[in-house]
This record gives sequence, structure tokens and C-alpha cells, in this order.
Amino acid sequence: MNPRAEASDRLMKRTWILTTFLISIAAGAVAAAEQEPLDDRYCVTCHGTDGRGNEGVQAPRLAGMEPWYLRRQLENYRAGIRGAHPDDIEGLAMQPMAAKLTDESIQDIIEWIGNWNYVPAEDTISGDLEAGRALYQSCATCHGADAEGNEALGAPALAGQNDWYMVTQLRNFLAGYRGVHPQDVYGAQMRVMTTSLSGENDINDVIAYINSL
Amino acid sequence: MTRPVSRREFLNLLAAAGGAGAAVKAGSALGLLPDSASASTLDLTAGNGRSAIILGGGLSGLTVAYELGKVGWDCTILEASHRCGGRIFTVRHGTLIDEIGNRQYCEFDDEPHLYFNAGAARIPSTHRTVLGYCKELDVELEVFVNENKTCWVQDNAMLGGRPVRNVEYTTHMRGFMAELMAKAMTETEMDAPFTDGEAETLLGMIRRFGDLNEDDVYRGSFNAGYASDGFIEHGVQKDIIAFRDLLKTRLGMGLMGANEGETGPILMQPRGGMDRIIDGFLRQVGDRVNYRAMVASIQVRDDGVEVAYDQDGSRRQVRADYCFNCIPSHLVTGFEHNFPADYVRSLKYIRRGEAYKAAFQAKERFWEKQDIYGGITWMNNPSRQIWYPVAGIHKRKGVILAGYDFSGGMYHTRMTQEQRIEAHLTDGEKVHPGYRNLVEKPVTVAWHRMNHMLGCAGYWTRILDGAWSAEDEAMFRLLQAPLNGRHYMIGDQISKHAAWMESTLQSAQWAMNDLDRRLRDMPA
Repeated sequence: MNPRAEASDRLMKRTWILTTFLISIAAGAVAAAEQEPLDDRYCVTCHGTDGRGNEGVQAPRLAGMEPWYLRRQLENYRAGIRGAHPDDIEGLAMQPMAAKLTDESIQDIIEWIGNWNYVPAEDTISGDLEAGRALYQSCATCHGADAEGNEALGAPALAGQNDWYMVTQLRNFLAGYRGVHPQDVYGAQMRVMTTSLSGENDINDVIAYINSL
Repeated sequence: MTRPVSRREFLNLLAAAGGAGAAVKAGSALGLLPDSASASTLDLTAGNGRSAIILGGGLSGLTVAYELGKVGWDCTILEASHRCGGRIFTVRHGTLIDEIGNRQYCEFDDEPHLYFNAGAARIPSTHRTVLGYCKELDVELEVFVNENKTCWVQDNAMLGGRPVRNVEYTTHMRGFMAELMAKAMTETEMDAPFTDGEAETLLGMIRRFGDLNEDDVYRGSFNAGYASDGFIEHGVQKDIIAFRDLLKTRLGMGLMGANEGETGPILMQPRGGMDRIIDGFLRQVGDRVNYRAMVASIQVRDDGVEVAYDQDGSRRQVRADYCFNCIPSHLVTGFEHNFPADYVRSLKYIRRGEAYKAAFQAKERFWEKQDIYGGITWMNNPSRQIWYPVAGIHKRKGVILAGYDFSGGMYHTRMTQEQRIEAHLTDGEKVHPGYRNLVEKPVTVAWHRMNHMLGCAGYWTRILDGAWSAEDEAMFRLLQAPLNGRHYMIGDQISKHAAWMESTLQSAQWAMNDLDRRLRDMPA
């Protein structure tokens, strides 16, 4: 996740028309007195201003996330490949939102997110950087030496993501809350890799190291 | 009971049963409160051209706009959603329930009595600030029935799951409790601190409390209702339910206290829905509300507060001398801001509530055929309660609360809409056979997922009903105080008693009084 150089003033320049699924959603609703304009752009309620991430509701940064990774995760959530485990608390909140998305609204959301301003995430985790560096070597194979990500390997950037979110995800992979669905190919790979981490100290150390990149 | 209860044990028992409640009652009788319901004790100085930006059109935000507006401030409210009121939310025909991932439109019939208070639903008669604003804003009130002993108590573990009337449960339980107390009085040497006369008075009350017979034994009571007749012919007493059977359910712990404290009589509600209060405020300050304006940034400066918000696809700026912020703390942390680290830490510390409610429209008022008019049925299943409406007595249809998770609502929140409805139908069937076919048009409100709120009443302490730690107190005071003298967090989240409108209003008044004091102290 490379910080975007673009300034915030280019935000929301695009005017966006949602006629297509406005009609499709409204048709399902009753003839109601109070009809709100409907769209699927709910993202920033949870994910914060410009999708910067919000620790208050444990919703991660979306700004700067790669379009291909966003699409894969939204599609996984929609299909119940991610966010279906009863102990994946945050995933369970995301899943029903994604389940409502059409292909068109996923495309729209990805483009919308692409216009958001990126500001660097605040570090909230500290750990042993040297230990973290050693642990990170196996991560670097896929996620890159600078945690910049690698689309060819299906590995997203880690640099710039909220550290508390990455901690939660490592815990979820380790506990089998994520990466266990048979169709979650990349998640399964990640789950195998996390088995080299033994406990909270390792998790903190490796995340602290990613913060330092 | 094979041995007499010692006096110490007995007094401990009394203290455990009545001590805390007695202390609260004594406290509220000290005359510290205003003489009658009054909206405010505010005495604010004139605005003199000052401006306030109010973030969130919840009850506290509207109160600030109303009160400051009265004394000439220039107020603007930014509200992220299409409606004001926050968790004061009445669902009726056509209402949008904007749950993220589960958007619903309410399909209740379009009649005034067919509504559901999905958030705040009760006004205790001691909540004078709420009642005062109702009076001032011309909001018509009616009595709300909370405890109704004709309602049911149902637990699969008790009597094979057969529901019993609340009055049977509580009458028998009181009888057995009174028998124990009477035994303690008579078998124990009750010298000091009681005189013989006092002991006799106390024993008399115990006998009446439990409807004991002349031998101080409980053998059933007409208080539990008649098995038959009771008017033209002598009534026949209902069979007693064995103490041991009543103890099979833990619902008694809720039941025996349901009519006490803040949920005790008299409670009130606005006629037509709790949002009549919001309507009342909007009649005064509706023109100050900017809807669908989602806050993106809060910058607290030395001479004012700058707020950026997104509306109609563009980012806009507004500046004011002061800012009052009733947006839930867990959403504020997601904005761009220039708050200091300890302030952010306190914002993050408040846990967001998980309360959940559901309702059905009933095709007929089947509960009235069972002598039930208002009140609550208690169930030991995840739906927990059924509330029967006071509104629309003897009309054809009614709206009932079908489920209420008042602490920890994630059980239903995590379900799909279809699963939630099925859960409530299954649970209600245990009390009302045929329930499934008697109700229609379900709505569910999972506050944890409601757009622009993402939580019900926040809580500070990490221990349920526990005391506040010194750390809790310190963080609370930090958030209650104005940041840089300019930015006030308000709402029931900045109170010691969240989830009540009274706390919300008093929080807003506290902030305005604090600001007023600061302004008066400022050098001219």
C-alpha cells in the first residue's frame, strides 16, 4: 500500500450516477412513504474519513488498498468465503454488507476508493524490531522486502495498513477464523505461513517491523 | 428450615434485599431537584453573535441548538443521515431502517397507533428534564405500562415450559419469601434494635407482603388470581406452584425487580411515538439542520473549530466559535482531527453498546383476549421479552416488541434478517400458541450495525454494573471537559447513566452551563 502522492483536493471530483441499482433496489422495497435515495456507498461510516481506518469500530484502512485486492476481498465476503466464521467478529459485520453488492457496485466502490486521499497510518503497536525483522523474512517472499505487496503472487501491501488491524488478522489466521474456507486459496496459504509465529510477542514484533518500513 | 436464622443473618438478608433500593429512594427525596418538571435550569447569557457548530442531530445536539438559539447564538447542526433523533427512533409505516447490510422499510399499516419505539421507549416520572422539555415543546404524553402482572413468564426449565402468569410467579414467590422472613422473626430472639412494637409492625408487613395464613405459612393467595369466578359466586383459589418449581427459572431475579427503580411506576411515553420529542425540537430548530452532511474532519483551534463534511459528493467547510459533538465516540475516532493522544484514547475507551430490538405487527390483539393490556412477558430464551402496546387498546391490530436484547445483542445481530425473524417466531410460540400466524410485517433494529451510529448506548466500565475505576473517572472527566475550551463531547456517552434520555439532556445542559461559566469569566 504505497502512500498516494495526490492531494486531497482531487477527492470526489467525479460525479457518480447510481441510476442502475437505485432502480433495482427500490423495486424490492414496499411502496413506502419515506423513500431515501439508495446506494451502496456505506464504506466510510465504518472505515472512517476517506477510508483511513477506524480503530473505534475495528474497521481497517481502505484508502491506498490495491484494486485487485479490494475486489478479491469484497467478492470473498459476498460469497461467504470470508467473514463467515462465528468468531471473526469484524468479518461478521462486513459480510452482510458485501452480500448485498452487485458486480456494478463493487466496481463503483473500488473506483470510489481509488479517489480517496491517503494519509499515513498512525503507529499503535510497538515491539522488538530485530526480532520482527527476522520473522518478516518469510513474509517478504510474497509481500515484498518493503511490504509493498505483489499482485502476481496475490499478496497485498502491508506497509501503511493499520497495525491493529494486521494484529487482528494474524490472530484470526492463527486461530482458524480466517483462511479455512476451502475456496479461500490465498487465505489458506497465509494461514500456513502464520504458523511460524508463536504467540502475541511474535505478532507484535513482526507488525512493529512492518511499521518501520 | 431446621435451624433458626440468627439475627445477624436476618439483618444481612434485609440489607441485601432492600438496602440499596432504600438508599436510592432516600437520596432522591432530599429535595435537591427542582420542584417540578422543568426543561432546564439554564441561565445562559446572550450569544452576542457567537456561533456553534453542532455535530449530530441526536437529542443532545438538538437541545444545544434549541437552548443556545433562544439566547441568540448562531447554530448549525450537521446530521449524517436523513433523519434526526439518533437512538430516539420510532418505526412506523414507511420508515427506513438503515442497518448496514440489512436495509428495511417498515410495512406496518398506516395508522397512528401502529408504531414501534426501537430505541428509547420509557420516561420515568423522575426524569424531570425530559418531562420538562415535553411540556415546553408541547409533546403530549400518556402513561406507559412496563410491569403488568397479567403477562407471562416462560422458561423451558420451569413446569415443562408451560407459561405462567407473572402474578402467579410473583405472588407465590413473595409468599415463600415472607414465610422465610416470618420464621426468622419468630424463631430468632429479636431484641435490639427492634422494640416489640416495631417487631410486630414488621411482622405484620411480612404477613401482608406474602399473604401468609394465621400460622405464618403460605398456602396460596387470591392475589395470584382466581381459578374461576370470584364475582357472583365465591372465587376459587388457583393451585399453588411449588417453591422448588419456581426456583427452576432464573427469570425471577429480573421479575422481582422489574417494577422497581427507573422501570417502576409511573413511566410515560409520548402519544404516537418517542420521536414526537424530536419533532418538538425540530419545530423550533428544524431550519438549523443540515441533513446528509457527514463529518470528515474536526480541527480545534484557539479561536474556534473548523469542521469539514461531505455532502452531495463534495467536501465542504464550516467554522464556528464553539463545537458540540454528539456523534458516537467510536465514529469520531475515524475522522481526521487534531485531538491530543489522551483525548483520542478516551474516545476509544468507551465501548459501543450492542442492544437489539425487534417488532411484529399483530393481525389481531390476541393478548387482550388474555386480559393483557400493556406490559412485558419474560422469557428465558434469546428474545427475552415481548412488550404489549398501550397504544390502540381494543383496536384491531397492534405492534408488539418481539425481542429485546438489552445487554449483549450480538446473538441476533449476527443473524440474517430471515434467521432473526424465525428466532422470534419460535420463541414467541412458547408463550402464545399460534403466534407465528398471528403476527406479520417484522422489523429488526440491530443498533450495532445502524448506519451512522454503529452502536447502542456506550459503556465505560469494563465490569457490568460495576464501580468506576479511577482510570475510568479520569478519562470521563477528560472527555467531558471542552477540548481547548472549544469542543464539547455530549450525549449519554458523556454521562454516568447511559441509555436514558435524561442523561443525554443533562449532558447537553452540563456542557452549555460549563461554556457559559467560562464566557462569564472571560475578561471583557
